[in-house]
Amino acid sequence: MPNLTINGQSYFADAPPDTPLLWVIREDLRLTGTKYGCGIGVCGSCTVHINGQAVRSCAITVGEVEGAHITTIEGLDPANAHPVQQAWIEHQVPQCGYCQSGQIMQAAALLSANPSPSDKQIVEGMNGNLCRCATYPRIVGAVKRAAELLKGGASHA
Amino acid sequence: MRNPTQPGMTRRDFLVRSAATAAGTFMSIGLPSLLESGNAGAAIGAGMPAFTPSIWFTVTPDGKTTMHILKAEMGQHIGTALAQVIAEELEVKWDDVRLETPLESVENFAIYGLAYTVNSGSVTTEFDRLSRAGAAGRMALIEAGAKVLGAKQSDCHAENSRVIDKASGRSIGYGEILQKVNIDRKFAYPDDFKAVKVKPFGSYKIIGKSIPSMDIPPKTNGQAKYGIDVFLPNMVYGALAIPRTRYGSKVLSVDDSEARKVPGFVKAVIVDNTLGKCTGWVIALAETFPAAMKAAKALKMEVDPGPYGKLSLSDIFEEFSAQTENAEASAAWVLEGDVDKGLAQADKVLEMEYSSDMVCHATMEPLNATVQFVDGAWHVHVGTQSTSFARMTLNAYLAKVLNQKPEDIKVYVHEYLLGGGFGGKQDYDEILAAAYCAKEVGRPVKFIQTRESTFATSFPRTPTYHKLKAGLKNGELLAMNHDICCGWMGPRFFVGKKYGTDWLQLDSWDAKKQDIDQWSIGGSDHWYYVKNHRVRAWDSDRTTWAVQASALRTVSNSYNMFVVESFMDEVAHALKRDPLEFRLSMLNGKGGNRGIPNTGYAPGTPSDYYMDRLWISLPWPNENSWPLYESATVGGALRLANCLKVAAKNAGWGTRKLPPNTGMGIAVSSAEERQSPTWVAGIAEVTVDPKTGIFKINRITIAMDPGTVINPLNAKAQIQGAALWGASQILSERLTYKNGAIEQSNFHEYKPIRLADVPQIDVHLIQSGHHPSGVGEPSSTVVAPAVANAIYNAIGVRVRHMPITPEAILDGLKSKA
Repeated sequence: MPNLTINGQSYFADAPPDTPLLWVIREDLRLTGTKYGCGIGVCGSCTVHINGQAVRSCAITVGEVEGAHITTIEGLDPANAHPVQQAWIEHQVPQCGYCQSGQIMQAAALLSANPSPSDKQIVEGMNGNLCRCATYPRIVGAVKRAAELLKGGASHA
Repeated sequence: MRNPTQPGMTRRDFLVRSAATAAGTFMSIGLPSLLESGNAGAAIGAGMPAFTPSIWFTVTPDGKTTMHILKAEMGQHIGTALAQVIAEELEVKWDDVRLETPLESVENFAIYGLAYTVNSGSVTTEFDRLSRAGAAGRMALIEAGAKVLGAKQSDCHAENSRVIDKASGRSIGYGEILQKVNIDRKFAYPDDFKAVKVKPFGSYKIIGKSIPSMDIPPKTNGQAKYGIDVFLPNMVYGALAIPRTRYGSKVLSVDDSEARKVPGFVKAVIVDNTLGKCTGWVIALAETFPAAMKAAKALKMEVDPGPYGKLSLSDIFEEFSAQTENAEASAAWVLEGDVDKGLAQADKVLEMEYSSDMVCHATMEPLNATVQFVDGAWHVHVGTQSTSFARMTLNAYLAKVLNQKPEDIKVYVHEYLLGGGFGGKQDYDEILAAAYCAKEVGRPVKFIQTRESTFATSFPRTPTYHKLKAGLKNGELLAMNHDICCGWMGPRFFVGKKYGTDWLQLDSWDAKKQDIDQWSIGGSDHWYYVKNHRVRAWDSDRTTWAVQASALRTVSNSYNMFVVESFMDEVAHALKRDPLEFRLSMLNGKGGNRGIPNTGYAPGTPSDYYMDRLWISLPWPNENSWPLYESATVGGALRLANCLKVAAKNAGWGTRKLPPNTGMGIAVSSAEERQSPTWVAGIAEVTVDPKTGIFKINRITIAMDPGTVINPLNAKAQIQGAALWGASQILSERLTYKNGAIEQSNFHEYKPIRLADVPQIDVHLIQSGHHPSGVGEPSSTVVAPAVANAIYNAIGVRVRHMPITPEAILDGLKSKA
């Protein structure tokens, strides 16, 4: 029974070690902000942070993340106060919204590794996250805005 | 389509009265504001007077106003837009606005009517009645407020949820009014209704403002609830074993000996395929979804592949081509002038074949449904484009499965957010399957389609085949013939008879000679003035059923605009005329293209609709929407010409210097339907690499005149997203079909557009002040033809198939050389 640290809390996952992390997060812990999109790590809807890195939770097992620090969208900031969330709301990015938890987690990890990404680096950093509503132009705008907010001394860097 | 219950007066009259309403009849779709409205409901339940001047909103004594939104929330932020329309006339403070979605039931259906969100039609069909409902509410509140204040009614006006007496300067809040007086007033249809005055365009305070959408904050912190996020006590999970064919296979036996080794496996269920739904489906039920997926893969099935087991896409295209040889079997969709004579008189006849591949919705949220049978009723939890049809379909299905009378079966549908719709959430197979499994296992069932099974059971846009002829004479297009063969989605959707019920039944569709599925042919009835114009259609019934042809964002416009606008460009080039000038010369608003004059129309008078051409009217707006609003066709083709001019100017058509191997292409569209057009023009700039055939869209310019825009920031998001949907369709989306099955299984094989391929998009909104038309889809239709035309202008290669592959461009370059 793998021991998981998610959003600062410790859980024992009642699942075989080869279970994809995604399903434990969603169905066992009921943190449903993390979404199932493809199950093979190609759409990005299930993106979470593992030790600060953006990882596809559908393509990693609970056995592999034992002891790691996992953050889901619910742990980013429930009050929507993280600069990426603020920028996302300011730019009115989500349409259907289903992929947006993954987009936001991807963007937060990107900015944490590179606080001033170029246009090209934003495309490279975000290209793995599919959005069927094609909110892409606003995603780019919001990533840039979040970078500004972070520079302005927002607390979540 | 006809509703079994004619709601009649309930939906038309405004019964303006304070009333205690039972709490709990409304269901949250996951917005926090909706949860709050539950508190409002509790206050009502406690016997406080509430004020529901029409069925569309409720003002409560706490001063809040809850808008009852019947439309599905699938990315278009429709709740916010419709609330803006009501709030504008009700003079309610925006902070006081709450949203909620009525529970779908027989009872609520009788009150609200059909819950069905399609066709980019929500604002178009609701704008007028919601405006008048809001205005009626305001009038009644002013009357009551004046009474409480002891003021003259004529001295009072409403503002920010308050009634203000100009004479004394005193005011009273809406909530306080409700605490002090009972309001009882009726605005009867049609006379009182007409007396309700709504604000003219140009005087709005809330409409036309980019108010932040209410559904967005829960979508950035993980709190938004979609159908897939539902949990019920004691539920089991279901996963589908990939069926042998897309449609029509039959499971003869199932061996679950391997599945039984999966811990948590409960049982395998062969889903009853009554009504021709869920054919060949076997669902593995288990205590967890990972276990259900494992078990589904471990099932061994003996299957009769059925009638389509050896059918492939190449057979379908061959059949289409052969069918169009038989003119006798066609049905005419447009008949203007004498096409045969025009072609015979022409100096030159241009003749081309076009085709398009299948594509599918591939919503980011895979299809799913959770069903529970409790206290004698079936509760469905789902995000669907039609809770009404979901309820009716499940009712019809259960009546057969349980051998009971439909009226003895209670079905409730609880609506959640949709993780994408695009026309793909108006089939109900997941609901039927989950209900059947719930019956078999005696527990609630959450059935989630994996991405793989979502593709395998997708409802694609039909493949299509087109033959076009243009008769050219004296530098003009004298005659045009467009032959279309494809699977018709309409007959698959609207099959009341096959369901053994009378809903959705279009009797005349049995006589295909006379009738046409407008959802499969529409768009070919373009707004260009062509003296001799004919469109003929052939239905491939086998294709419809084999691939389960469906409605996909803009429906038939998505392929017909590609074909018409590519061909128009070919005609312009053949005539040696500038494609812009050529188009403008034919968008002259003459004849049937003049649009319905700005006088409104009465329902049931097709002559207004039909003008002087053979248009088949939409069956449902007449019955289900307010009859007094201005037709979206007002202004006709001249509004389309204006869009084209605006797009051309902003894109620099004819003036911008372009790099090598780069071209611009133009296209116009009136998607969606002839009766509900949104005028849009698009210009694409594309660079082609002649060595590889790979092309890049550099820039898209869109000019759209949707009349009146409710929320510009949101409208631009819809227009951009739709334009990129169109780009995706011409670039990379292709669904193929072999031996009865869909070949693609996941996003590594089916490739919607990603960020790296996104061009610059400039959107120009033209607010002409006319009745609003929809913005969620139409811009998608101009991008594919604009790109195809740009490729031609870049390197002289014409590709007549959608999507455009690098191979097709290289072939074109070879044959040119």
